[in-house]
Amino acid sequence: MISRWTPRYECRWLAAGIMLILLPTTAMMRGESVKFNREILPILSANCFQCHGPDPKNRKGKLRLDVREEALAKKAFVPGKPEESELLKRLDSTDPEEHMPPPDTHKVLGQSQKNILKQWISEGAKYELHWSYTPVVRPPLPQAKEPKWAANPVDRFILQRLESLAIRPSPSANRATLLRRLSLDLTGLPPTPAEVAAFEKDKSSRAYEKQVDRLLSSLHFGERMAVPWLDAVRFADTVGYHGDQNQNVFPYRDYVIDSFNQNKPFNQFTIEQIAGDLLPNATPEQKTASGFNRLNMMTREGGAQPKEYLAKYAADRVRTVSTVWLGSTMACCECHDHKYDPFLTRDFYSMAAFFDDVQQWGVYNDYAYTPNPDLKGFDNDYPFPPELMVPNAYIARRDSLLHEKWAKTLLDSLSRLEKDKQTMDSFEQWKEQSKHFLERFPDGWEVALHPSVKLSGSPTNASLSVLDRGQLLVEGTGGAEKPEIQFELSPGRISAIRLEALPHPSHNASGLRTNVSIGKIGLSAVIKHQHGEEIKIEFHDSHATARMPVYANGQEIFDLSGNWKLPASAARNPQHAVYLLKDPIHAEPGDLMRITLSSQDLGCFRISTTPFAASDALKSGATAELAVALARPSRLQSTSDRQCLLESYFFSEAADVSSLAELRQIKRSIRECRNGTSPTLVTVSTNKLLVTRVLPRGNWQDESGEVLLPATPTFLPSEKHTGTNRITRLDLGRWLVSPENPLTARAFVNRLWKQTFGNGLSNQPEELGAQGEPPSHPELIDWLAAELIDSRWNVKHMVKLLVMSSTYQQDSRGRLELQEIDPANRLLARQNPRRLDAEFVRDNALVIAGLLDPEIGGPSAFPYQPSGYYANIQFPDRDYFASKNENQYRRGLYAHRQRTFLQPMLANFDAPAREECTVDRAVSNTPQQALTLLNDPSFVEAARVFAERILSSQETKTDQKRLDQAFRIALMRPAKAGEAESMLKLLDTQRRYYSENRGEADKLRTVGFHSTSPGLDAAEVAAWTGLTRVILNLHETITRY
Amino acid sequence: MNTGFNFEEMARSINRRSFLKQSAYGLGGMALASLFSTYVLGGDAASSKAGLAGAIDPLHFPPKAKRVIHLCMAGGPSHLESFDWKPKLRELDGKAFPDSLTKGQQLAQLQNTVLKARGPFVDFSRHGESGQQISSLFPHIATLADRMCIIRSLHTEQINHDPAHAFMNSGSIIKGRPSMGSWLLYGLGSETDNLPGFVVLTSQGKDGAQPVSARQWSSGYLASKYQGILLQSRGEAVHYVGNPEGVCQSTQRQIVEEVSRLNGVLAEEKLDPEIQTRIAQYELAFRMQSSVPSLTDFSKEPKSVLEDYGIKEPGDGTFASNCLMARRLAERGVRFIQLYHRAWDHHREIEKNMPVAAKDVDQASAALVKDLEQRGLLEDTLVIWGGEFGRTPMGQGSGRDHHIKAFSIWMAGGGIKPGMTWGNTDELGYSYLPDGQEVDVHDLHATMLHLCGIDHKRLTVRYQGRDFRLTDVHGNVIRGICA
Repeated sequence: MISRWTPRYECRWLAAGIMLILLPTTAMMRGESVKFNREILPILSANCFQCHGPDPKNRKGKLRLDVREEALAKKAFVPGKPEESELLKRLDSTDPEEHMPPPDTHKVLGQSQKNILKQWISEGAKYELHWSYTPVVRPPLPQAKEPKWAANPVDRFILQRLESLAIRPSPSANRATLLRRLSLDLTGLPPTPAEVAAFEKDKSSRAYEKQVDRLLSSLHFGERMAVPWLDAVRFADTVGYHGDQNQNVFPYRDYVIDSFNQNKPFNQFTIEQIAGDLLPNATPEQKTASGFNRLNMMTREGGAQPKEYLAKYAADRVRTVSTVWLGSTMACCECHDHKYDPFLTRDFYSMAAFFDDVQQWGVYNDYAYTPNPDLKGFDNDYPFPPELMVPNAYIARRDSLLHEKWAKTLLDSLSRLEKDKQTMDSFEQWKEQSKHFLERFPDGWEVALHPSVKLSGSPTNASLSVLDRGQLLVEGTGGAEKPEIQFELSPGRISAIRLEALPHPSHNASGLRTNVSIGKIGLSAVIKHQHGEEIKIEFHDSHATARMPVYANGQEIFDLSGNWKLPASAARNPQHAVYLLKDPIHAEPGDLMRITLSSQDLGCFRISTTPFAASDALKSGATAELAVALARPSRLQSTSDRQCLLESYFFSEAADVSSLAELRQIKRSIRECRNGTSPTLVTVSTNKLLVTRVLPRGNWQDESGEVLLPATPTFLPSEKHTGTNRITRLDLGRWLVSPENPLTARAFVNRLWKQTFGNGLSNQPEELGAQGEPPSHPELIDWLAAELIDSRWNVKHMVKLLVMSSTYQQDSRGRLELQEIDPANRLLARQNPRRLDAEFVRDNALVIAGLLDPEIGGPSAFPYQPSGYYANIQFPDRDYFASKNENQYRRGLYAHRQRTFLQPMLANFDAPAREECTVDRAVSNTPQQALTLLNDPSFVEAARVFAERILSSQETKTDQKRLDQAFRIALMRPAKAGEAESMLKLLDTQRRYYSENRGEADKLRTVGFHSTSPGLDAAEVAAWTGLTRVILNLHETITRY
Repeated sequence: MNTGFNFEEMARSINRRSFLKQSAYGLGGMALASLFSTYVLGGDAASSKAGLAGAIDPLHFPPKAKRVIHLCMAGGPSHLESFDWKPKLRELDGKAFPDSLTKGQQLAQLQNTVLKARGPFVDFSRHGESGQQISSLFPHIATLADRMCIIRSLHTEQINHDPAHAFMNSGSIIKGRPSMGSWLLYGLGSETDNLPGFVVLTSQGKDGAQPVSARQWSSGYLASKYQGILLQSRGEAVHYVGNPEGVCQSTQRQIVEEVSRLNGVLAEEKLDPEIQTRIAQYELAFRMQSSVPSLTDFSKEPKSVLEDYGIKEPGDGTFASNCLMARRLAERGVRFIQLYHRAWDHHREIEKNMPVAAKDVDQASAALVKDLEQRGLLEDTLVIWGGEFGRTPMGQGSGRDHHIKAFSIWMAGGGIKPGMTWGNTDELGYSYLPDGQEVDVHDLHATMLHLCGIDHKRLTVRYQGRDFRLTDVHGNVIRGICA
């Protein structure tokens, strides 16, 4: 390995502006020497580098202060001689032409900053390499005076800093608080009162560690860890630009959850996402991971320029990779060399070039003005290719449950029928009639042999004629007229209609007309009763022997209700479609059926009907099995014959309407499971590489820039690439987690720290460069980064290390005496209280109510949302249907993520829209949050079900005890006297009100789909709902202390 | 970021807590808002100032405008049929469009096609004493000629709707940048403490509608309290502002009081300043619950006013109704009011569809300006009318394509020089002329902030390690249009 470090880069800088904690600890106050990184660089970076930094385009007076030799050459600093240093002279100059920084920058240095600069020059004006760019070297553990408190290495660093300022750490939080904190931090869910009680009783020395291990092995750990990761990689269910259509990518979310649960090493996790598809013998899981490269926003807007959007996608990927792994905002370099860090414009585009092989389209449609032959036939409902069908554990579980349910429901229903004498009589009759029918029509289909036909509308030169055996032939050239076929029905049952497409010599031996490449055929039917009444026939299902998929906003429609899309290639053989009648009809003599086809793409076709329906449309008509069973005399029939007959009777005659409806629904759901698989966005590597150039000032139309090959940022060390082969995404993935890259480990442990303690050690996790914040504990962040690498990127090990620390377990109460010294608690003499993230605010309420669906993984769910919220979305127009089953109570991280209109509850609690990489969520405190907790149906319903839960409990009968129980469930503690008093008074008021206004009590129970517990008085539930709403709204409830 | 707590606040909280304890339910009948303001915050001068405090205090210049109403004609109206009369283009109608103008330029749906000129299909005439040229599609707006300033030299960088709106709103197409409404609210603070300071309304025309994303009113990296709140045209005006079914106002009030009481108990124990904020936010939320219904109650608007705006049914979600709502929001101290009318994307049948869109907005836009004027609000309200881009002088079948090199907007009120036209385009209306009167989007932002008393270079927020501003590193105040 050859390092690329050169002296040129050795004096590069660092960072940041926020002086909160620097104030009490500056070198001057401590009587120590000045540290370049901690004290000087922030001043230079904030005030000087804009014109005298790394970016040559903005450099004034050919002076750069970021490279020591150059600054010294210009006498900006004369080591040891502040009075001769030009910089200090300029700072104090009274001549506005001379004065620095120039007055029009509105930047002014304070006297203390000038003094620090002076001291630093006196001490030799020594530069240091910016902390985050130095190789990761594990520093020695500091000695701590309290070995018991500082048993964990993390604590040694924290305690050392506290001791130097004579601050004592806080005592440990009580066990209930601690377990709630730990549960919320590791799983995003609160503990149960029983878990708290067990922990409180456990006297063993490993009591706490046991809880940590339990929670780390919970499958909810992966869900909790996934939330910040999904923010970082900007995971969403929709494409974000313009029509913001759906994209199929939830298996990627499951991959992230599973990876954290399996404790997949972070280096492997990284490589799989950047280049899973390039790994040898890539598994479906690794290919799913490569969906990471597809999470950029996409467009299919008409008129969008493919090249412009490819440039946008590329820039988005660079920003994401650099922020997530390098903790560095390379965004500036899209247009110019970084002003404060050694990142260059070419670094930005060299990084982009790694993704040149990713198969993608600038505009995901085929428009005349921007043709895309690959996407021929696409419309706004199509998915965004490439996709891959991958096995999915959640769907496989669901699939097998549904199959069980199907079998049981059918069996129950058939055995009910068998017990009913009247039904059995009609079953016998049906068998007789069926036998006769099959004698006339052995395959069970009666062809409409002599229909009357016409082309509706105004036929041009087209004609429709009836040939022998009921074949119907369209000929000539036509416009948009539609074939209409009318025929007399034989008296008796009609359960299904068949449309055949038959190859014919007039159409080059195809069932489709010659010029049609994909037939799009819709079929509608009416029955005309003898006495004039016309009834439209509805179908509950339909299927065809050959078809192309049809979509609605990215989701496949599994029946033909959209269209029967028949490709010309398949139409060279006979094909057919079968439509199952929702309500089988009974034709009387003289009844007519009229069928209208929505296009005349078919060249030759035929219509038939059958009395025999099956659960699977294509098995309608008479199967061989049915024919044999019917033909066999009753006494010789086997059990399976009888089963076959009963089933056919059941589906053909709609003998049990309610179970039939249920079975049809189950069938639809089974089909949606696609045998336990799902499509997902993946990366497909193509050899048609894009050409990446430097885009001058980011202008995609300017093609004058140099063409670049993939390369890692020039100033960062990497293994020297000697071969002539172009390096790949796989090389990028491996470099990101290679020992010579100093940034990835630091960036990741810093974010883990933030997740556990509220603030990052460097509290701008998106920017560890010169403009970021110097870490509060520089040695600790390096020690942790070294530990992550040495543990082979073991994420659970790192999380455990942090939460096992005494620092973590401290009480979070504010300490008045530390207000001035450490207002933002960066020294960590206590824990930080933290408001729960949006998803966990929801999860917490659902757990408290006992409503949460604990399933792991799967497609997104649709929590309640105000109606009309998607009114401003088009292409296609959008409606929102809240999930009606258990999916309504899924965790927040599974909520459908519409990028342009984020679910309002999530938005109100600061979840990002995931249009752009986010590693630092805001934490706001707004009236919208209050309105959400007070009035959002999700929370009102949770409060009501919570109240019912309290009232249904057999153990607690008195109001006081019930109230205590409610507090225990929500807050792990009983109500305090001062709380109970007013809450019970509120209960009285509410009771009085609702017992006098029972109608209102009933209305309150209608909020949400969840059924009400039987046997409870509505007024009592409503009164208690008032109390539980208070509890769900408490600051304490949505805060992890 | 948690920046620590403040001792005064803490002392007040303890008073508040003991007060709440004493009050118990004795004050059950008193509205929470008055309860807090009268007894707890009453003596505190700082909190008597309503709403959010502004980041720029004092302002950099004496402000001419206190609030902004942006009437966004989403989809991109044709400047060639509204405010930029091009007789030469009419002469060239149907003929090849000069290659010299278009070569190497960005096109949208006209990519890879033969370019032909399309003459304006409507006539223009001069209006008012100022004699400004306005097309016959906008007879009502034409009556504002002496009150407004038309800018014909605006240009943008983004040729598709979504990024063009983003650029118009935030000066950047990178997601997560604050919109101009959020910047203004951040800089100036809010004048209302019971309504959001930045409100958005949308309406849709019969044809030419394009989607608009909620990111257009996002506060980006500014705190979420600065984000725009979309008022729904139907249903609840603000999400979750209505009480749940079966919960009356009195019950709701008791719940909110109890939440705050218990939060007060917690505050004493935890020394956590977020709790104080939480209590204040519940108070504000409850006030919003009370004030939004009166905001959306149009019953006191006289019939003559409805007629002036051309409103058939107040609250029907039309642009006209939204204009009246804009005035009501302005009266109530909302800082930035943005109306989107999604109707201007006339790729096809522009001759049929543009007059429809114009008719939907013309009367109400004019009525709004006059109504504000009558109420003395126009002098400190800046009204901006225009789209995210213009349309090509080249025809696209029966319509016009997106165009970024020049388009027209108009402004009126707060500090704008009335009765003037600023900026010029070439004789075919293709490009702005670099005659010193050209205006880009950053200039527009800089001017808007300037009129509101803010130096756009000094309204900054530190994010990702650098100081960001609405105008990034660009923007010049257009002095020539400032009164």
